[in-house]
Amino acid sequence: MREAAKRIIPVPLLMSNAFAPTTSNKTGHWSPSQPRYQNKTAPCSVHCPCGQDIPRVELLAARRRFRDAWRLLLSENPFPGVCGRVCFHPCERGCNRGLFDAPVSIHALERFLDDEAWNNGYEMETPAVSSSGKRIAVIGSGPAGLAAAYFFSRLGHACDVFEVESHAGGLLRYGIPSYRLPLLALEREIKRIESLGVRIFCSYRVDADFLSQARQSYDALFIGCGNGRSKRLGIPGEELAVDGLCFLKQSMQNGSKSLEKAAGPLASPSTAAVIGGGNSAMDVARSLLRLGISPLIVYRRRAEDMPAFSDEIRRASAEGVQFIELSAPLSITAGQSGLTLRIQRMRTDGLGPDGRMRVAPIPGDTDLLQIDQIYAAIGADAAEPWMMPPPTADRLLLYHSVSLLNSEKTLPTVYGGDLVNAEESVADAIASGKEAAIVLDAYFKGGSACVAPAVERCRIGSGQGLSMELYMHGPRGQRSGRVVEFADLNAAYFDHSQAGRGEVIPPALSIGSFAEIEKTLDREEAVRQAERCFQCGLCNDCDNCRTFCPEVAVLIKADKGLQPDSAAAGWQRWIDADFCKGCGICVTECPRCAMVLEEPPI
Amino acid sequence: MMKVLEGSQAVAEAVRLARVKVVSAYPITPQTHIVEELARYCAEGSLDGRFICVESEHSAMASVIGSAAGGVRSFTASSSHGLAYMHEMLHWAAGARLPIVMVDVNRALGPGWNLWMDQSDSLSQRDTGWMQFYCADGQEALDTTLQAFRLAEMVHLPAMVNLDAFFLSHTYEPVEVPDAQTVDAFLPPYEPPFKMDQGHPLGLCGVAPPGVYMEMRRNMQMAMDSVPDLLDQIEDDFFIRFGRRYGSLETYRCADADVVVVTTGTASGTARVAVDQLREQGEKAGLLRLRLFRPFPSRAVRQALEKIEKAAVLDRNCSFGSGGIFANELKAALHGKGGTAVYSYISGLGGRDITVDLIKELYTKTRDADRPDSESVWLGLKEELMLR
Amino acid sequence: MTHELYNGPELMYSGHVGCPGCGATIAMKLALRALGQATMVVIPASCWAIIASSYPQTSLKVPVLNTAFASTAAACTGLRAALDMRGATFTTVLGWAGDGGTFDIGFQALSAAAERGEDFIYICYDNEAYMNTGVQRSSSTPFGARTMTTPDSSWKRTEKKNMVEILAAHRIPYAATASIAFPEDLERKLRKAKAIRTGLRFIHLYASCPTGWGYAPAQTVQVARTAVLCNAFPLYEVEDGLTYTLNRTGSLPVADYLKMQSRFRHLDAQTIQDIQDRVDLELQRLRQKAQPAGLESAVPAAASPGL
Repeated sequence: MREAAKRIIPVPLLMSNAFAPTTSNKTGHWSPSQPRYQNKTAPCSVHCPCGQDIPRVELLAARRRFRDAWRLLLSENPFPGVCGRVCFHPCERGCNRGLFDAPVSIHALERFLDDEAWNNGYEMETPAVSSSGKRIAVIGSGPAGLAAAYFFSRLGHACDVFEVESHAGGLLRYGIPSYRLPLLALEREIKRIESLGVRIFCSYRVDADFLSQARQSYDALFIGCGNGRSKRLGIPGEELAVDGLCFLKQSMQNGSKSLEKAAGPLASPSTAAVIGGGNSAMDVARSLLRLGISPLIVYRRRAEDMPAFSDEIRRASAEGVQFIELSAPLSITAGQSGLTLRIQRMRTDGLGPDGRMRVAPIPGDTDLLQIDQIYAAIGADAAEPWMMPPPTADRLLLYHSVSLLNSEKTLPTVYGGDLVNAEESVADAIASGKEAAIVLDAYFKGGSACVAPAVERCRIGSGQGLSMELYMHGPRGQRSGRVVEFADLNAAYFDHSQAGRGEVIPPALSIGSFAEIEKTLDREEAVRQAERCFQCGLCNDCDNCRTFCPEVAVLIKADKGLQPDSAAAGWQRWIDADFCKGCGICVTECPRCAMVLEEPPI
Repeated sequence: MMKVLEGSQAVAEAVRLARVKVVSAYPITPQTHIVEELARYCAEGSLDGRFICVESEHSAMASVIGSAAGGVRSFTASSSHGLAYMHEMLHWAAGARLPIVMVDVNRALGPGWNLWMDQSDSLSQRDTGWMQFYCADGQEALDTTLQAFRLAEMVHLPAMVNLDAFFLSHTYEPVEVPDAQTVDAFLPPYEPPFKMDQGHPLGLCGVAPPGVYMEMRRNMQMAMDSVPDLLDQIEDDFFIRFGRRYGSLETYRCADADVVVVTTGTASGTARVAVDQLREQGEKAGLLRLRLFRPFPSRAVRQALEKIEKAAVLDRNCSFGSGGIFANELKAALHGKGGTAVYSYISGLGGRDITVDLIKELYTKTRDADRPDSESVWLGLKEELMLR
Repeated sequence: MTHELYNGPELMYSGHVGCPGCGATIAMKLALRALGQATMVVIPASCWAIIASSYPQTSLKVPVLNTAFASTAAACTGLRAALDMRGATFTTVLGWAGDGGTFDIGFQALSAAAERGEDFIYICYDNEAYMNTGVQRSSSTPFGARTMTTPDSSWKRTEKKNMVEILAAHRIPYAATASIAFPEDLERKLRKAKAIRTGLRFIHLYASCPTGWGYAPAQTVQVARTAVLCNAFPLYEVEDGLTYTLNRTGSLPVADYLKMQSRFRHLDAQTIQDIQDRVDLELQRLRQKAQPAGLESAVPAAASPGL
């Protein structure tokens, strides 16, 4: 009986107990639509004349990778410390965050990064490029010339810079007062350029002879001399006015002694009129304030028509500079107690063809200003004709910010900087130097026919800014040129927050000295500000795509047993086409438009 | 140890001895004594199990499905409307191949409300894939419950043990309660072939598409087919340990019988008295008691009735529009064999007493008939009520 | 704000048969991420019954017990009991039912389990109708919605049941709303629910359905987020049935939400205003309940802001 109990009767047990993973269903074929990672172009970088990779800079800064962020800045601009102070930051005007709350403080962050680099002794990274054997002479050590020299060197060309003044820097040294740009911030950047092997010969007056003999020592020339000669007022008594640029140069060298050097009729003036509405006029006026003089700015149009940056106008006004608008100078006469400036009152006269408000004199309406001193700051021109490209040359190729003279008689010569650039600003001058480097390098490599395609390849989106990283075939080239608009973003992922700038010394104190007005962001604030960046068009590992994918079809390196590359901006991700059903949630939920849903052609 | 126990208490003793881990039940007369007893065992700790007071029979069955899928021995009890209410989950338990044991106390369904003995409740569940046993006394209730666990865990099908309402559930009888050690040897701890297991995650009871569903159902039928032999083996073992066996059916004085009365449950005791009395009167009466209903023990039935001319089946149920269910099953089992004519009688519904006289009447009618009526014959009807 | 990249194992397989853009699959993925490997899931008839397992395939890496429609909470109870008897007390039992299986047919079992103080987490993934059967109304279908059984001009004119309130009235230790559009909030709530062992924890998890609601699959999270930000589905939690905390509300008009979905397309301006009034009133009531502890805890915008 017990034997019987052990007899085995098989009882089958097939039932619905699922044991095999669903991964054998290749659900990817359900839909022909496929999302794809596609980094795009941020509007800030399009607005930046230097084509800075701003979203990536801010991403690195937000991750406290300040050195990497700084090096990234340097890859497109040798002057982050200068630009972080004096650039008019068109990037912030382009910032999509401006349509949400307030633009990211790109300008202040740039300055922070350079100061951080300086304070921590970060070293520049130089691209591994072998020497080309080419030698280039750069005439003028302003921002255009130095930038050109910097990029030439980084492309492997030897570079000599010739500067007529006693120190390098051009307008940066002699045209911008130290309360905006302290000398130290400039000098350390010039030193960095020299460390690449760039030789700068100061107090060296280049003339036409030099140029004609340069063929013996050099393979190419870059001429970026800037506007060295002030424009004349063209009114009776104009010789009684002090040249604003001269005054600025001297005030830079001598501080308060500059007043004496500037040599007006009075040894110790207390009032001054500054004629002009550009940045130089503001600089002159604000420098005068710091020397104890009450300046009046006399401008023939309205304040809002001034070419000076609005920030500069605002600060000048805040510091106590008075503005006399719609007033054109007619004559200057000297009297016993000072100068008399006769002005013609103007009225607006409708918009001109350039969209600017025109002005016209109001007949018979003139006025007299009694003033101790008058400064002319109405702009400047080239000091000598050779500084400009020959107007009739047939082998002259024109680019956005430079011109290339490709003549058999002379060396290949690139003209750049303010003299040829439609836009006049520090950043535009630097951009011009960069374009010169790209133009010449491409010319060296493949002749003039190669230049235009090379320049086009470096363009950031729809803008004029060029990227050296693109020229050097860096990873930035993988991004789409499509510029991300605010409507492309998923703003639900962003919280409102305060934009921050460096602390600013109040006007009452700032006018007491030439000390820098604005302070650098502290580190925590800098990180907070960098975190405000939307990273338009740039994957920043927010992981939304992977979080929301209903198909578990977004893979990261770890899924493939790979170590994430911590140096890369993003942990690389993949869409697993075997399983992606093309729903597009990842694309919709990407806060920053770094993905695209590709629908097949019907 | 011999104890005087209600049928309900005998069941509860068996559940305790089976070391059931989860009991989940909803009270319904006349099942309540079983669950009250088990609740007390769990509360006092004499049963190391969780007693879940669910809010419905549907949930009672769902929760023991959950616990059985969780890999532990599980028990519930119900009756009548409760059983009907959990109908969906009976399918689920069987399809899930979970060895749940349930005691059903056979009671009529309303309306009108009726608390008494009737087999309609369990027989309505005959196609759910559950094994069904019908017990005749308290001892058998205890023993069958133990056997049901062992059998269910071998064939991976749930088992329903049926007790007649009140006649068995509430009747005190002497019952031999075996010692725990012997029961443990008979019924080792449950080792499920699959369960909810972190180390081996399965999707239990998921979708079964047309491509596999039929094979799964064929598997259940094959498992049912294996029951009679396995029950034999288990009873062999049970007999060695406890000295009792029941078989899938029981025969009494059938060897030379002209008419064999076929009964289930407690009516069998009455029928046995009737058969004895008929024998004393010189009648060749015999008795066949069905214990196993699902799977239906066709082979054993054919064997037992091989030489019998007439079988008179007493059904305490009615499949309306067809007749007595046991009779129909018997006819199906004997179909094609020629020999035995099956006479179908319905009586004792809704707690109506089955008396010795009624069995005798049934015997006599069968003996005197040339051939069975085409429909079941109702016995014990009150004609005065029928005329209204 | 920094965001930690999720590096745990995904507990859901690719290749499941959910519709493209299915909110309920996002819900499951996120829920299992939060609860971890030591989880067992009980699933009744629902879309997820189809998605979870079709012999021989399973889409989850944790054990699943499919059960009949009405029985989620009861099956969870039994499974919990079995695990406790087996000594597997650290395993989390998760009941995962749709709105039909929760608001309607499964409600009795759920209420009972809540009353008994059963130790499991019950998540109702709410797609606001019987989607698996082809979009028929449930008692979770909101006022104004069209379904196959509330068609055309017979669009649903009764309010959705307030299930969290009902569960809170059982005084269970934890009841909360959550949304697939707010994964960090969802994860926090599930971790909290997992840690509580003193009774049933109920999560009402909003899971939008492109197929049933009529919007493009890519909008699933957008729709879910808008539901929260227009206060049609505010995020809040209730501890011990009494202590309310409002986690996330918004200020979008409810029309923004309604207009995203074709199931509401027929609503006229007056009806939309009526819905707005009701939403405002409900939010006001909720705010009152959240007093005096009613400081809205800070939940970051939507999910992760990046970085």
